[in-house]
Amino acid sequence: MAEITVQNLHKDFGLGADKVVALENVNLSISGKAFVSVVGASGCGKSTLLNILSGIETPTSGNVSITQEGRPAHAGYVFQAARLLPWRTVMDNMLFVQQDRSKETRERCQHYLEMVQLGDRGDKFPGQLSGGMQQRVGIARAFSTEPDVLFMDEPFSHLDAITARTLRKELNTIWAETGTTVVFVTHDVGEAVELSNRILVFAKGGRLADDIDVTLPFPRDVADTKVAVTKAEVFKTFEDIGALAIS
Amino acid sequence: MSADLRVAGRTTAGPQRASRTRRAWRTVWRSPLAGRLTFPIVCLIVWLLAIKVVTTIWPFAVDVLPTPWQVFGFMFDEIMGKTVAPHNMYETFAISLQRLGIGMVIALIIGTIIGIAMGLSKAVNAFFNDWVVAILAMPNLAWALFCSLAFGFGDIGPTIVVVLTGVPFVIINVREGVRNTPTDLFDMARAFGVPRQRVIRQVLIPSLLPFLFAAARYSFALGWKGLVVAEVFGGQDGAGWTIKFWYDAHRAYGVVGYALLFVIFALVFEKLMFDQLSKRLFKWRPAIDAADVVEARFDAQTKAAPQPPTAPSAPDHPRSNDHG
Repeated sequence: MAEITVQNLHKDFGLGADKVVALENVNLSISGKAFVSVVGASGCGKSTLLNILSGIETPTSGNVSITQEGRPAHAGYVFQAARLLPWRTVMDNMLFVQQDRSKETRERCQHYLEMVQLGDRGDKFPGQLSGGMQQRVGIARAFSTEPDVLFMDEPFSHLDAITARTLRKELNTIWAETGTTVVFVTHDVGEAVELSNRILVFAKGGRLADDIDVTLPFPRDVADTKVAVTKAEVFKTFEDIGALAIS
Repeated sequence: MSADLRVAGRTTAGPQRASRTRRAWRTVWRSPLAGRLTFPIVCLIVWLLAIKVVTTIWPFAVDVLPTPWQVFGFMFDEIMGKTVAPHNMYETFAISLQRLGIGMVIALIIGTIIGIAMGLSKAVNAFFNDWVVAILAMPNLAWALFCSLAFGFGDIGPTIVVVLTGVPFVIINVREGVRNTPTDLFDMARAFGVPRQRVIRQVLIPSLLPFLFAAARYSFALGWKGLVVAEVFGGQDGAGWTIKFWYDAHRAYGVVGYALLFVIFALVFEKLMFDQLSKRLFKWRPAIDAADVVEARFDAQTKAAPQPPTAPSAPDHPRSNDHG
C-alpha cells in the first residue's frame, strides 16, 4: 500500500496566448488500502493528474512523491483503450511488462488472467478478442505486476453498459483481495460511488474542488437505495461548487 | 460463414430441382480458380488471333512473330536445361538473383537509415525529400546506361541499378512507419517501466515491420525490372543479357519465351518467399483475406438472404459510454 503526496502541483500546456492551465495548485495525500476516484467534467485535468502521477508527463511546477515503505512505489496502469501489443499473444503481452520470464512470473500472469476469466485465451492475439476481453487483459496485465499503486484512466468508458458493469464487479473483487492503492479517473459519478471509498471532485481549470469520503460497505449494488442516495449527494456537491458548469 | 450463406441461399431459391446442374455450373464458374484458369486461355486465343490479323495485313511478319508452340517448345527446352546460350536458365537466374539480393539488402540498409532520419527530423526530411522524388522519377534505362558507362560490364552496374530502384521505396515506407509509430504503446511501456531494449525489440521494430515488408516487396518487383534493363546494357550474363542474346540471334520466340520464364520465376519467387514470410510475420492480423470478406458480404446483400440465427455477434464491442 502506497503513500501518494502531491504538493502545489501546477501543469500548463502551450505558451503565451495559447496557454491552457490543466492543473492549478493541487494538494492531496492518499495512503493505505484506498480506492480513490477522480471525477469531473471533460477537460478538468483528471487525466493530466493521472499522467503526472504515473510519470508519463512532467509537472510545470510542484512536487509528487509516490512511495512504498520509504522506497519509490511500483506502479501499474490501466488505460482507456487496452493498449495491447497487437503482434503479441495475450500471454506475451502480460510478460512484456514483467521484470523477468521465470516460471513463477508466468504462473502469476496465468493467475491474473484467470481472475478476469481469460485463463484459456493466453495464446490468442488481441485482434481475436472482443473489446471487453481486451480491456480485461489490460486490467490483468496491470494487476499481474503486483503494483503498490494502480492508476486507471476511464477504463470502462469505451465499453457497453453490461460489460462495464461486469468488469466493475471483477475489479472490486480483485481490489478487495489485493489491497492495492487505486487512483481511478472517471467522468461517471455512479461508477465512482460504486467502486471507491474516496472521491476527489475536480472543477474547470484543474482545481481540486472537493474531497468526499464514501463509507458504504462493499460490494455495492447500484440498485441499492443507499448507493443511489450517495450518488445524489455527490451530484449535489457538484452543483454547489459549480463543477458541472460547462463553459 | 460461407456455409451459412450457402444454406440461406438454398432456402430462398425455392424448390427448383431442375436447375441443380446450372447452379453447380455457376458455382464452378464463380470460383476464383475458374477465373484464374480462364485468363491464360483468353490470352492464348488473343495471341493466335493477333498473329492471324497481323500476317494478313503484313505477310512478312510470319517469320518474326512467334507462335505459342514455338515459345512453349523453347521454354520447355530451357526448363530441361537445354540451351545454346552460354548459361542455362538456372545458372542465369541464379546470377541475376544474386545481384538482386545484394542490391536489395543494400537498398534496405541505406533506405532504413535515411527513412528513420527523415521520419524523426523535419530538417533531414527537407534535405532528402526532393532527391527521393527525383530518384523515384528517374527511368531505369537512364540508370542502366549511366551505370554501364561508369562501371563497365560486370556485377557492379546492375547491382547499383537495383539499389537505386529500390532505395526510394524503402525510404518513403520507413519514413511513414516512423511517423506512424504507436505513441500510445510507448506511453504504456513507460508507465510500466519496461526497459528500453525491450521496447525497441517488441514495440518499435514490430511496428516498423509491415512498412519494411511492403518496401521489400516493392523493391523486389521493381528491382527485377531495373536489373534486367541494366543487364541488357551492362551485363555479361544474367536474365537481361540472355534476353538480349536471343534478340541478337533474331529468335523472337527466345525473347518472348525468356521474358515469360522470367515472369514465372518472379511470380513463383514472390509466392514462395513473400507470401510465406507475410503469413509468418503477420499472423496476428485478424483478417488477411480482406478481399474475400468484402466479396462474401456483397454476395450476402445481393441475395438478401435472411440472417441465420447463429450469426456471430459481438456483445463486448465498444458501443456506448453510459452505464446503469
